[in-house]
Amino acid sequence: MSAPAVALAPRQSRIVVVRLADSAEAIGALSLIYGALLAIFPVSFPNLIVKSWERGELLPVLMLFTFLLDTGLYLRIAQRLSAKPGMMAAACLGSLPLLVVGGASFIQQKAVKYTLTSEWPNLHARVGEEILAHTYLALVAAVFLPFLAIRLLQQFKNTV
Amino acid sequence: MTNWNSVKWLLYLALYLIPVFLLPWAVSRSWVHQRGGTVRYSPKQLFERGELGLLSLVLACGGIWHVLGSTYAPHTIAVASVLLAMGGIMAMTVWVETFCRQRSGTDWHPRRAWRDSRSLALFVFSMAAVVEILLDRLSRVGAQ
Repeated sequence: MSAPAVALAPRQSRIVVVRLADSAEAIGALSLIYGALLAIFPVSFPNLIVKSWERGELLPVLMLFTFLLDTGLYLRIAQRLSAKPGMMAAACLGSLPLLVVGGASFIQQKAVKYTLTSEWPNLHARVGEEILAHTYLALVAAVFLPFLAIRLLQQFKNTV
Repeated sequence: MTNWNSVKWLLYLALYLIPVFLLPWAVSRSWVHQRGGTVRYSPKQLFERGELGLLSLVLACGGIWHVLGSTYAPHTIAVASVLLAMGGIMAMTVWVETFCRQRSGTDWHPRRAWRDSRSLALFVFSMAAVVEILLDRLSRVGAQ
């Protein structure tokens, strides 16, 4: 094939190769924001989270937020690398954030039940602290685990 | 009201930062000074093989140790410990991968190793920071 023909042929774009560092930066920023909100608004921010958990709004908000964040992050990586998004990654990003937040919510319910049956003083405040911790951990897990799964699947695909 | 307890987590963060980031850099400067050299190594040069990832595992272990001693529900302790450990292990893997690539003669990119280890170190450090803030809040609830 001549050089002009090669130049004119449609370029085959490669699939996005995800590195954990991409999601780690987002989690780092998310953690610093969460920590700063806790330090600057030590009463109103935890109250907001606990109240939304009591109203049952926390779970869908977390699911939507992590889903959008993961998708945005993946598309940003694809744009930076000028690569096309893969089907496997789309399936992971479509399902895993929701599954992880759902699983984290289940563990949170168990932790709250455990706290309520314990004999610690100031139980209401203690339950609030458990909710605060689980909300943060669910956020981290829902961003980190899908990208970890994609990374491991990509490595597995390369070795097979 | 702000008192010693409300800023205690800042001390923990300093304890994480000093041995992991500042101490190796200060020791490298002291080493160069002792030998009469004038070279100044930047943190990027010092950790270009992904050593920051290795140190992140140490940092994650400190966080896990603190979480295990808390009065959180066992479920919360388990989730926090596993996530911190996963972050630490992934950060350490950057150093292992870079070492293996370098030793086996496979192409290795110092810039990529530095970027990956720095990002994962930020992840572990910021997570340890939030965990310390949460632990500090819990200890104050327990003291009330």
